[in-house]
Amino acid sequence: MPELERISATRIIAAPDALNTLRRPMLMRVAADEAIVIGSFEESLAGDPHAIIQPETGFMGVWLSADFARSFLERACEWEPPPVTPAFAQGSVAGIPAKLWFERDRVLFLVPAPYAHDFEERIA
Amino acid sequence: MSGDCPHCLATINGVSYVRTCQTQATAGMIVDRHPEHGAPPIGNLGHGPAVTARNLFCDTVVIGMGKSGRAAAEEAERTGVRVVRLDAANGQEVIGIYPGPLVAARTAEGMLHVHVAKEIVVATGAADIQPVAPGNHLPGILTARAAALLSSAGIELGRVVELNEPPVRFEGSDRVEAVVVLNDRGAEHRIPCDTVAVKLGFQPRDGLSRMGQGLPVRTVGSAARASDIPPCPNAGTVCPCSGVTVADLESVWDRGFRDLELVKRATLAGTGTCQGSVCVPHIRSFIAARGENLQPPFTARPMNKQATMAEVAAGVWHHPTARTALDEEHRRLGAQMERMGGWWRPWTYGRPLEEYWAVREAVSLGDVSTLGKMLVSGPGALALLEHLYPTKIESLKPGRSRYVLLLDERGYVLDDGMVCRESDTRFYVTFTSAGSTHAELWVRDWAETLALDVRLLNQTMSVSAINVTGPLATQLLERAGVNDPPEYLQHKFADVAGVRCRIMRLSFTGEVSYELHHPAGDSAALWRKLLALGGDLGIKPHGLETLMKLRLEKGHIVVGQDTDFDSTPRRIGHEWAVKLDKPDFVGRQAVLRTNKIQLDRQLAGFEMEGDPPPEGALIWSGADYAGYVTSSAFSPALGKSVMLGWLKRFADRLPDELTIQGKPARRVATPFYDPEGTRARA
Repeated sequence: MPELERISATRIIAAPDALNTLRRPMLMRVAADEAIVIGSFEESLAGDPHAIIQPETGFMGVWLSADFARSFLERACEWEPPPVTPAFAQGSVAGIPAKLWFERDRVLFLVPAPYAHDFEERIA
Repeated sequence: MSGDCPHCLATINGVSYVRTCQTQATAGMIVDRHPEHGAPPIGNLGHGPAVTARNLFCDTVVIGMGKSGRAAAEEAERTGVRVVRLDAANGQEVIGIYPGPLVAARTAEGMLHVHVAKEIVVATGAADIQPVAPGNHLPGILTARAAALLSSAGIELGRVVELNEPPVRFEGSDRVEAVVVLNDRGAEHRIPCDTVAVKLGFQPRDGLSRMGQGLPVRTVGSAARASDIPPCPNAGTVCPCSGVTVADLESVWDRGFRDLELVKRATLAGTGTCQGSVCVPHIRSFIAARGENLQPPFTARPMNKQATMAEVAAGVWHHPTARTALDEEHRRLGAQMERMGGWWRPWTYGRPLEEYWAVREAVSLGDVSTLGKMLVSGPGALALLEHLYPTKIESLKPGRSRYVLLLDERGYVLDDGMVCRESDTRFYVTFTSAGSTHAELWVRDWAETLALDVRLLNQTMSVSAINVTGPLATQLLERAGVNDPPEYLQHKFADVAGVRCRIMRLSFTGEVSYELHHPAGDSAALWRKLLALGGDLGIKPHGLETLMKLRLEKGHIVVGQDTDFDSTPRRIGHEWAVKLDKPDFVGRQAVLRTNKIQLDRQLAGFEMEGDPPPEGALIWSGADYAGYVTSSAFSPALGKSVMLGWLKRFADRLPDELTIQGKPARRVATPFYDPEGTRARA
């Protein structure tokens, strides 16, 4: 059974124009005014002095092979995964709000830590 | 033999309503007929294997792989779109079309959920029209196509009578024994037989098309043909699914129902699982024979085939109950966990009285991670909070906190919590555990409505909180490295046992309390360190049972438990939390208006000797109903039971002497415990 681990990330809430200038690997744009960056983010955000930049440990995640992920998503996901990689997508997966980062050979599943236990049971 | 009608339903291996004509016989299969009248027994199957759903995504789905279906699929594929082909003959039985659009089909391996981007093509062909006459339920009555199929498969049908007109009736006891028709002279003619093969014409098998109204559905081939219309039925069952007879149709007709859709609703004809596959042409004929126009077939609804509960539930996931970062710690300590406000929470660790006294006399830890938490930042942050809360926010200095009510436009209490000011443009606000989701939507909605320049970050799931409470709480914090903790209703950032925390000094328990808000990833470590540091101080964690008792002794309300849908600040005795000299806030006009109305009831405190009544118990003033209890507990510190509850005013005053659960009770002022609040501020 895949086990989820707490993921260290940074959440950035800022003006959309300021977020549009952000260039980082694995940048997950979860909303017009919100982005999640895996790992730390030490700098301030140019263009928005009022941005909220917070270390985030509220997500747990696991990397799964692309084949396993495809098979799991086929039975657990009522929306179509993106056809190209790398790509970010989010929505309900097995009834749990999830954020997914798709790469060619693997997929990162992120879920809010309070639901990680249920997600592990459902992915098994 | 095509699964259109419900005549062959049987119980197979304990599962009822199975269409036997569509089921492959296997060795050892147990087949029981459904009773002639009434529903089949529902067996206790226990928990069968779960049925999974497989999601497919396409541009076009084609249902039915006859000649027209294949042509439609090939035509679509030539345009380069993604096509999914579904065919009942291939084991993919479509049971419904839903908004989405979504096509649901059952297969031997589970359910298929086909999500369609562009078009649903229905190419399901045509179905034989079934006869309507007395006795049409008898076994041995087949469509001509079914009889030919069985015959070619080597099934002995006995004496076969072919029928091209509806008969007067079918006769037989357990199965058809004769068919009675009218001869050329109009006289009844009885023909003994073992099988009747009826050939009364065809109707389009368009149940799925009728189901997909408003969706991109195209019907092709025989499914799009006009229906043959049989002669008007005179007697017998028209709708075998719902047991509707010609007499039922006549009854609703006589009562003035003329429209096909209304006849359907009045009789329930066509509302069964075949969704009109049998009855539609006969009801159309019935209405047309009475001088009305031939009306189009009625709407169909999913499903048009029987499905098991497991098939219906396939792909449906129940909403999970959230777990705090300390969930494993609670379980390891033997906590009895309960679902409260969408979270698993420790109700008690097994000795609630010891938990209680740890708070009142020593120090205790409580997991309050479930509280709603939000960061509000930006030039418009102050304006937003001033608009949302009836309390003055501008006067709140950085480093200070304030209790706040959240009101709706009608001046009713939505939620409550704390506001902590970090700087001129940055605040941290909390909400109740159960109300946080709604509160977040409320805040975001108002920020957008007012077009304010703010940044909002919901931290409910990413920030944990531990309440360190009790007269020795300050001592415990000192051991954890905090030598200068915040004063009452102040907050500050500090390292607690190596974990960066926002420390909020407040009190829900009535004792000195510090809420330590910290990253969820550090929560378990912080919890363990604090328990270890407080070992010789008598530290114990407390569960929700104890917390509810402690807060009740202090008269603190729980929004949603002690408040109702129309609770105003005045009714709950919280006028002190509403500053009407503020120029504006959500609910201000309503509060001003309702303040002019005479109070009819109020949230009040009560006490009685002995055991507490259950929450919800009625309150009586003499022989008059006076209200009900919202919170109730026995107070170990006070040695009596204390309660909150709604109490009616009589002659513009609240009664003092009451009866609750047949026992005398008194209305008293709150807080019940430490009314001066000296312990919390110590």
